[in-house]
Amino acid sequence: MLRQLFENKKIRIIGISAIVLFLMGIPWLITGYWVRLLTSIFMYATLSKAIDLMIGYLGYVPFGNVVFFGLGAYTTGIAMSHGIPFPLAMVMGALISIMVCIFIGVPVLRLRGHYFAVATVGLNGAIMAIALNATALTGGAMGLTFPVLPAPPEIIYRYFYYMMFALMVAAIIVSIIIVKSRFGYAVRSIKANEEAARALGINTTVTKTAIWIISAIITSIAGAIYGFWMSYISTMDVFNIMIGVTCILMTLLGGAGTIIGPILGALIFQFLSEMVWSQFLEFHLGILGVITILVIFFIPGGLVASLKESFTRAKVQHKEAGS
Amino acid sequence: MIFEIALNGLMLGGLYTLMGAGFSLQWGISGIINLAYGGMTVLGAFVAFSLFRLVSVQPLVSCIPAAIIMFSLGWAIYKFFLRPTIRRGTFFVTLIMTFAIELVLENFMLYVWASDYRIITSPYSGISVQILHAEVPLIKLIMFAISIACVYLVHLFMSKTKPGKAIQASALNPQGARVVGIDVEKMYAINFGIGAAIGAVAGALMSNITSFSVVLTGSLVGKVFVIAVLGGLGNIWGAALGGITLGLVESYGTITIGSEYNEAIGLVVMVLVLVLRPRGLIGRKYWDV
Repeated sequence: MLRQLFENKKIRIIGISAIVLFLMGIPWLITGYWVRLLTSIFMYATLSKAIDLMIGYLGYVPFGNVVFFGLGAYTTGIAMSHGIPFPLAMVMGALISIMVCIFIGVPVLRLRGHYFAVATVGLNGAIMAIALNATALTGGAMGLTFPVLPAPPEIIYRYFYYMMFALMVAAIIVSIIIVKSRFGYAVRSIKANEEAARALGINTTVTKTAIWIISAIITSIAGAIYGFWMSYISTMDVFNIMIGVTCILMTLLGGAGTIIGPILGALIFQFLSEMVWSQFLEFHLGILGVITILVIFFIPGGLVASLKESFTRAKVQHKEAGS
Repeated sequence: MIFEIALNGLMLGGLYTLMGAGFSLQWGISGIINLAYGGMTVLGAFVAFSLFRLVSVQPLVSCIPAAIIMFSLGWAIYKFFLRPTIRRGTFFVTLIMTFAIELVLENFMLYVWASDYRIITSPYSGISVQILHAEVPLIKLIMFAISIACVYLVHLFMSKTKPGKAIQASALNPQGARVVGIDVEKMYAINFGIGAAIGAVAGALMSNITSFSVVLTGSLVGKVFVIAVLGGLGNIWGAALGGITLGLVESYGTITIGSEYNEAIGLVVMVLVLVLRPRGLIGRKYWDV
């Protein structure tokens, strides 16, 4: 039943537009706290989508993808403190990320599996150390302050809410386009078997770098918005490897390589985090760890796969009952 | 001056060798990148610290109980958490699993010991010795000697004893090892435990010369990574090469560029080695003697 509902195209379109309209209207009805929580959920959903492009489709795990988040935030902050308007500063952040991807991505992407994961962590550590010590430019350990918007707080909250929401929608659309395109097939063929993909005439280096660049652009724009939103950033904040790991966890929870999985994972995870274990600050890390272990043991394929499986099972049972 | 820097780097390198050897064993033989290694090392340091504070055990003697505790913990973690994960998932799930374990360990240590920096001030920490015009603290020399002795012991264990040979066989050819009657899973678990124990000993030694805290776990994992990558995996001489290289590079970098770039230098060296020589400087993949 439910599955047929999902498969019906009309109902799908109506459902999606209802959700979008609901999310567009909701910030006018709820308090600032909830608007901020939803904004942070959108941010994590966006970052998880960006990481999932690498994990779910390409099969590479960029453990230190948060480096682009930090680069985006810092570049935007530095540019804005020199009087450059936000949109332009954001683009500059994205350009820096692209450059890092090209110059460092090409050699690093030659590595496979563990080695790639580790090299990205190293990259993050190195760039973080540079940001921390280039005090004249970045403010060093003092952090970096963004110019604050001259408006009452509710309006600022809504402003960033819509910005983050738009970015998340853009990330979803981009991933749908990629999945359906020829490029997307090339990316997934690399995940299945890189040598075979190369033998078929796919330029694996260009494909891998291109998908990483897309992931990096999304991540760095999220970083730029985050910095402007918080109006203060420090290296500990935006180069924090925990952000990247949390996003990997969200992807894992929702289901890697699915359109909606990372979004679902981010939603559930952030809600749980805010509602349940923020009450136990002392055990925050430990509970995060235990939840991770439970997810790995009990829903290894992610929620989306588990749901699909139970739908299929229900369908089979339904058929058997009918015959 | 150069001689002094080199000597200091060498001393540091001895400790790094030990630290890297444990991580390298776990990675090269059990096939696990153990992100909880930093947590295990710091836990070893805390065990030594508590033994020193509460029952005033000599800091160098407390290596032994720390090693025994961490061996059991490492063995249990492998058996109950990592083994089931490896069986059902890809390497990336295992990586996340070790990270989850790290989080739990970290939380435990934060709860018990808080995040303050601690150091063990042993009775002989003030004494220093003269080596060719260079002043070297006695404690660093002792630490260096113990590190090298431990590394040599592990080498002897791996190459001369029956369980050690069985562990090597399991790494080289699991199927073949099974055929001749080796319980491969048990060997992997023992090897993982040995790795954890080595980390704990390194942590206990480290607590004598520098202050430590839970906050350090991340940067320790970074360091052992660099060491393992520099030297190649599961190879104890590789760990020695990587550890001493890192020690020299760091102590030279501290003088020339400044200590705040220490970590960055190590990581840059690692990324370079990864890209230029993916199998490490020595370039043998498995344990070999």
